[in-house]
Amino acid sequence: MTIEHISAAILVLAVLLAAVRLILWHRASPQPHRPRLIALLVLQPVCAALLFLTLYPPPVPVGGDAIRVATAGAPQLAEPAGAPTLALPEAGDMQGAEHVPDLATALRRHPQVRRITVLGSGFTPRDMDAASGLDVDFNPRPPPAGIVSVTPPPVAAPGESFGVGGMVTPSSNMVVELLDPAGRVTDVTSPDRQGHVRLTGTARAAGNSLFTLRVRTNGRTLAQALVPLTVRDPKPLRLLLLAAAPGPEIKYLRRWATDAGFEVTSQINAGGGISLGDAPISLNPATLARFDLVVIDDRSWIALGGRRAALMTAVRNGLGMILRPTGPLDATTRSQWRNLGFALTGTNSISPLVLPKPAPASIARTRLGIATETAPEDMSLPADFIPDVSRLALSPLGMTSAALLQDGGDAPIAAWRAQGLGRVALFTGLDSYALVLTGRATLYDDWWRALARAVIRPAPSPASPPAISWAGERLSLCGTGPRASVQQPDGSAVALQPVGACAAFWPVKAGWHRLITKDGNAPFYVQPADALPAMRSARDRDATLLLPNAPAIASEATRNAPGTAWPFGIAWLLVSALLWWLERSRVGRPQPARSSM
Amino acid sequence: MSAERFFSHWVAPARRRSFLDTLGLALPVLAALTAIAWRISGLAAAAALFLAGGVLALVLARRRATRQDRAWLIHRLDASRPELEDSSALLFSPPATITPLQALQRTRIADRLDQASPHDLVPRWSKQWLLGLFCVAAVIVAGALLWPRPGEGPPRLAPSQEGIATAPGLPRLVAQNLRILPPAYTGLPKRDSAKLDVQAPLGSRLEWTLRFDPEAQGPRLLLVDGKPLPLRRDGDNWVAGLTLDRSFLYRVDPAADRGPTPPLHRIDAQPDNPPQVKALTPALTVVKAGQHSWTPAFAATDDYGVASSARLRITLAIGEGENVTFSEREIPVSGTGAAQDRRFAPVLNFSSFGFSAGGDMVVQLIVHDNRTPSPQEVRGPSLILRWPSARVPESGGLEGMVNTTLPAYFRSQRQIIIDAEALLKQKRALSSDRYLAKSGTIGNDQQILRGRYSQFLGGEEEGEPELPTADAEHHFDGDGHDHGPPVRHSPGFGAPEDVLAEFGHAHDESPASSLDPETRAILKKAVDEMWGSERELKQGRPDLALPYANRALRFIKEVQQATRIFLSRVGPELPPIDPTRRMTGDREGIGNRTLQLAGIKRSDGPAAAAWRALESDAVPDPTALGNWVRANAGRLPDPLALTAAIDAVRQQPRCAACRARLQGLLWTAMERPTGQPMPRQRPDAMGARYLHALQGGGS
Repeated sequence: MTIEHISAAILVLAVLLAAVRLILWHRASPQPHRPRLIALLVLQPVCAALLFLTLYPPPVPVGGDAIRVATAGAPQLAEPAGAPTLALPEAGDMQGAEHVPDLATALRRHPQVRRITVLGSGFTPRDMDAASGLDVDFNPRPPPAGIVSVTPPPVAAPGESFGVGGMVTPSSNMVVELLDPAGRVTDVTSPDRQGHVRLTGTARAAGNSLFTLRVRTNGRTLAQALVPLTVRDPKPLRLLLLAAAPGPEIKYLRRWATDAGFEVTSQINAGGGISLGDAPISLNPATLARFDLVVIDDRSWIALGGRRAALMTAVRNGLGMILRPTGPLDATTRSQWRNLGFALTGTNSISPLVLPKPAPASIARTRLGIATETAPEDMSLPADFIPDVSRLALSPLGMTSAALLQDGGDAPIAAWRAQGLGRVALFTGLDSYALVLTGRATLYDDWWRALARAVIRPAPSPASPPAISWAGERLSLCGTGPRASVQQPDGSAVALQPVGACAAFWPVKAGWHRLITKDGNAPFYVQPADALPAMRSARDRDATLLLPNAPAIASEATRNAPGTAWPFGIAWLLVSALLWWLERSRVGRPQPARSSM
Repeated sequence: MSAERFFSHWVAPARRRSFLDTLGLALPVLAALTAIAWRISGLAAAAALFLAGGVLALVLARRRATRQDRAWLIHRLDASRPELEDSSALLFSPPATITPLQALQRTRIADRLDQASPHDLVPRWSKQWLLGLFCVAAVIVAGALLWPRPGEGPPRLAPSQEGIATAPGLPRLVAQNLRILPPAYTGLPKRDSAKLDVQAPLGSRLEWTLRFDPEAQGPRLLLVDGKPLPLRRDGDNWVAGLTLDRSFLYRVDPAADRGPTPPLHRIDAQPDNPPQVKALTPALTVVKAGQHSWTPAFAATDDYGVASSARLRITLAIGEGENVTFSEREIPVSGTGAAQDRRFAPVLNFSSFGFSAGGDMVVQLIVHDNRTPSPQEVRGPSLILRWPSARVPESGGLEGMVNTTLPAYFRSQRQIIIDAEALLKQKRALSSDRYLAKSGTIGNDQQILRGRYSQFLGGEEEGEPELPTADAEHHFDGDGHDHGPPVRHSPGFGAPEDVLAEFGHAHDESPASSLDPETRAILKKAVDEMWGSERELKQGRPDLALPYANRALRFIKEVQQATRIFLSRVGPELPPIDPTRRMTGDREGIGNRTLQLAGIKRSDGPAAAAWRALESDAVPDPTALGNWVRANAGRLPDPLALTAAIDAVRQQPRCAACRARLQGLLWTAMERPTGQPMPRQRPDAMGARYLHALQGGGS
């Protein structure tokens, strides 16, 4: 039962009640006057009908179901021919167009519209919901020049090197640079044929920083974008080092991990059941659950024997494991490690590891921090002497494992694979310690940190806000939980109203915001409204292109729109007035004795 | 008097005068130009200009003099001497061409001509021109000499650019000058800087001259992290001086801390870089046939000047195989070229160094710059000259050298036998002197060889042989005729232990200790036989020497078969193995051992704290940060800029540009910690289920 039916029923009831009352009144009247009664009885339903029509005017058939909607980047002069043109706010001050605040309003004003021709770069997320279900005709223009996409790095640990991904158009004759917060170029590359770039920077101490991605062509800056980076101190991670014999590799690994702040437990077997390093522990699920990462060499792996099952169970429950061969593998270990998902194809022998080509000195300098008290500057710049670093010629990379590290000759030297909740990585480098001894401690750190990061036990982290958002554009923050708030750049806090798992937030100003939840807080950067125009435009374009472009609903089907209500309203008013006058008038009533005037 | 001589007699004084007059006119012009050139481009340019100008002036003067020719003379005579009746042309006409009438007239006036002298025809000095030019030239020369150079004379003050709003009653810097007097050895001129931010060589004297308006009371130069420098009154100006011993920041404080804080100025001390030596010849050169000398060339550059004298360190490696002698010497060399880019190309004669085939000559240039005090000394790259021997190349390494010692000498002993036999065959063909000489040469070889083997026996066989009598066996220490302590021989041919001492590391006390007693005994016999062989050879009796030589060879062969040379190597000094415990299962004292390892305690320090404060709109603590910058200036790329930025933020904590600048500089002043990775994100419940399911049921 619709509201119209209810209204109609009420009106009918009222008319019937009025009629009954009139008839009873007429019967009781000493001088019944039939024509008056009939007039009143007739006018009441007319009045009710007119009121109904005022409230619900009869639909009228309408035509013209197509409009043109101008979005950002549309030509400023609407073409006079064709369907009427509506301009969204992004289209700017467009001449000869009807300005609407959003698409939903436009559709309310033009309810007959079934087909939309989009001018410009496409709908913003605001209009996406309104546009769904319509037939959208969109002929996108070529993608705008500039930075079409940028992927800021995830939260990094202090000093970690991170990658920034991006895509630029056009891709030819472009140079893409990453500038550190001091304004120094810290990486330079040129995009591949699709325009993709990947640049590397290095983090410093915990805090927030803004790098800059800059696209240059012929010495002229074409576009630039801020790349936010958040650095957070992780809580110390617990590392178990298992080695079957003392050696330089394990010595330097232990030194690196200790200096890096890991809580290191090392178990170095010296034969005859003698263990060096830290106090011996037994490898059982309870002790292994205490560790985040275990580094184990092939001989220790063999010596594990029955405890291997406990280790693998711990790995499936989240423990990270790095396998480290110390030389050519025996057949059993090789097949066991193959079963873990590493291909181990190639010859089972030792071959030299090609060191990656170092970056130019000016760039390398920006990636290093200042010299520390314990490591003067000349220690951190590589010596001319090239160390003999070797690797196992077996390739860890296969169909079931993910590449992690490559040497300078593009040979894979590390790969990882998931095992339940945990991960296992295999590093085929045999004597990476030589890097430390020849001033390449940074490379050593990069490699071992990448290995650890790939497999380490996962930890709960605070909600992660979207990587790129713009001021003045709604963004949704998920995983916030109840009673979350956002601290704005000016220090004021905005409480979030979660709906389901997510909450919406409209940033007003650009800058660093802080999402405060009960798990902790997560900083995120809101780009200025005019930042990354090409990326926004490309996003709108792609999203608009995804809208259904269904064939138009049969155009001969007549469509109705609610008619205008005011003529009925006036008629109702006149009829009501007439009725009122008739009720009040003395026409057809017994005339009392006329007073003498 | 011929016509020509007559003509030149009359024209010469005029020509001389004209020549001198031209030179007199050219001289002031030349002097003025030379003075200007000297002032602008220095002495060499001035001299060149003077020479060129002088030559030009001579040419012009000569041309002007030759303009006084015959026509001029005739015209001049006719004009000045009416008694010549306009007929002077006849006097200078060739006699053959004149008519009798003309001849008559000529004789008539010839007498009159002599009544006056040619000096009357001399043109006058162009006095006005000379006077004018000399005056102008004197002014120009004086101007060129006396025009003040920058850095000399009273400083010219430039308007200040402090950018501070005027406040009534408060003194304000209105004019400024900073004079820089670099150290004398740099050869840089004094200069005046209109700005208060300068870069100057380390050790320069800085002199400020400042003027304030209204008059200041006790203005100072406030050095950031240093003592304030009071200004002295000097007339209307205020002056102060300082010797630049480090870079610093300062501000001019006219009003003794009243009024707004003036901006910071920066003085950068530019240190004197050590010289750079570059080799111009290839690092390895090989001697060509017929070459007798070698000229290695080096270029030494320095920012202020390389001393013209340098030292060349020459290391000679003479000999082959194991018989390499090293000697080292330094010779003075002198360089050519400008002080800032000197070339050193000493000529090294092979004969004066005793350099011969099979040797290496290694040279290294040691230069120093002209810094005073304490010149900086730099050693350049080493260049090697190799004189390959005609014979088979020897193996290179030191290890191999020591190990092949004995085999090399076995061959040598055999070679002596072969040589001696060959000499015996040639005996008839040779004169007795040559025969004796050749024999003596072989004897020398034998001596050298014997000397070498004696060294394996500790050198005690050097000298004379033991008598082949029984009492030789009864030597004992202190018997009154021992040889005393082993003699230290000067490095000579066949002394490879010197090679060891030079480049290697002698692992045992002497070569003798590397032999076991049996071998020593055999070797001793061999040496005795060699001595006999040597004696006979030197006396010209190779036939008698041969039996000794053959016996020596036989003994050496025995050594070869019987012995090894033990060379201990340096390695880990492991505790001695107790053989009695081996395989007994005794584990006493063996147990797990804890290896202590202390990590570096690291904190990210005030720079990171300030970074975070700036990022979060708070005000960083400038004092702590400033102290940290001062304490760690050696590690920071630009501590002065950082100090200035800190100061700017201290003055205006809300200035966004200052904060951004400080933040940028702080980024360059932070350490990059190693190690810790960021843990990956824990998968949610669905992800965990998925990962377990991948594992085939999972836990």
